[in-house]
Amino acid sequence: MTDDQLSTTFAALADPTRRAILTRLAEGEASVNELAEPFPVSLQAISKHLKVLERAGLITRGRDAQWRPCRLEAAPLETASSWIDTQRQVWNHRLDQLDQHLKSLARTSKET
Amino acid sequence: MPDDTATITTTGTDDDLGEVTITRDFDFPREMLFAAFFDPEQLTHFWGPPGISTPVDKITIDARPGGVFATTMVDDASGAEYPNEGVFVEIVEPERFSWKEPSGMVTSSTLTDLGGGRTRLVIHQTNVPAMYRSAEALEGFNASLTRMAEYLATRPS
Repeated sequence: MTDDQLSTTFAALADPTRRAILTRLAEGEASVNELAEPFPVSLQAISKHLKVLERAGLITRGRDAQWRPCRLEAAPLETASSWIDTQRQVWNHRLDQLDQHLKSLARTSKET
Repeated sequence: MPDDTATITTTGTDDDLGEVTITRDFDFPREMLFAAFFDPEQLTHFWGPPGISTPVDKITIDARPGGVFATTMVDDASGAEYPNEGVFVEIVEPERFSWKEPSGMVTSSTLTDLGGGRTRLVIHQTNVPAMYRSAEALEGFNASLTRMAEYLATRPS
């Protein structure tokens, strides 16, 4: 995934209504009407949100003209959420290894 | 310890979003820790994440402000190479050093003498690129994303 794609994903995630839509879709496919139900906004507004999510690759929509169920796509979400965690893991591992390295240095200098 | 507070470079952002801080105490004096970061022969022993090596001949450390800090991490299994190049911003032996990457991210290390030959090392990453900051802004949401992803993985496609 390129940086541009990541930015698009984050922009799409910035809106609470869109996040709520994604959370609902985690339970399974849903139509626009079903998705709109909990929100005090127009169907049109929900459709706009869905277009943003679709462009960001976060959802896909079925082909059936009447039903067009929305479905969550997980891959972009995983990439977006993992960077900070990865940084922490890399540094924690690095510092574990640094400690081991210094211990072996200390052992070596004692032996010589 | 000399009072050189005035030379501390301010690298913080307006908010704390996306800043990564790692703190670790070591049973070694800070001179030893400091030296380990500036000696390729030592850095090669601890730099790479699991399954990744950082060969000593692919490490460049020009230990002065403006000097290059470059490493190439090599995937042990595939041989794929991941070069990283930064520039040292500040080096104050043995208490702190920092480098800046092309993305603008600054990684600062501070070594505090805890007495009795012990040292606290604090790694602080600031100026984290905006797209990564957004990720942490959404940290609470990320937890549900993880559950979502797990749930999706169990579903037949």
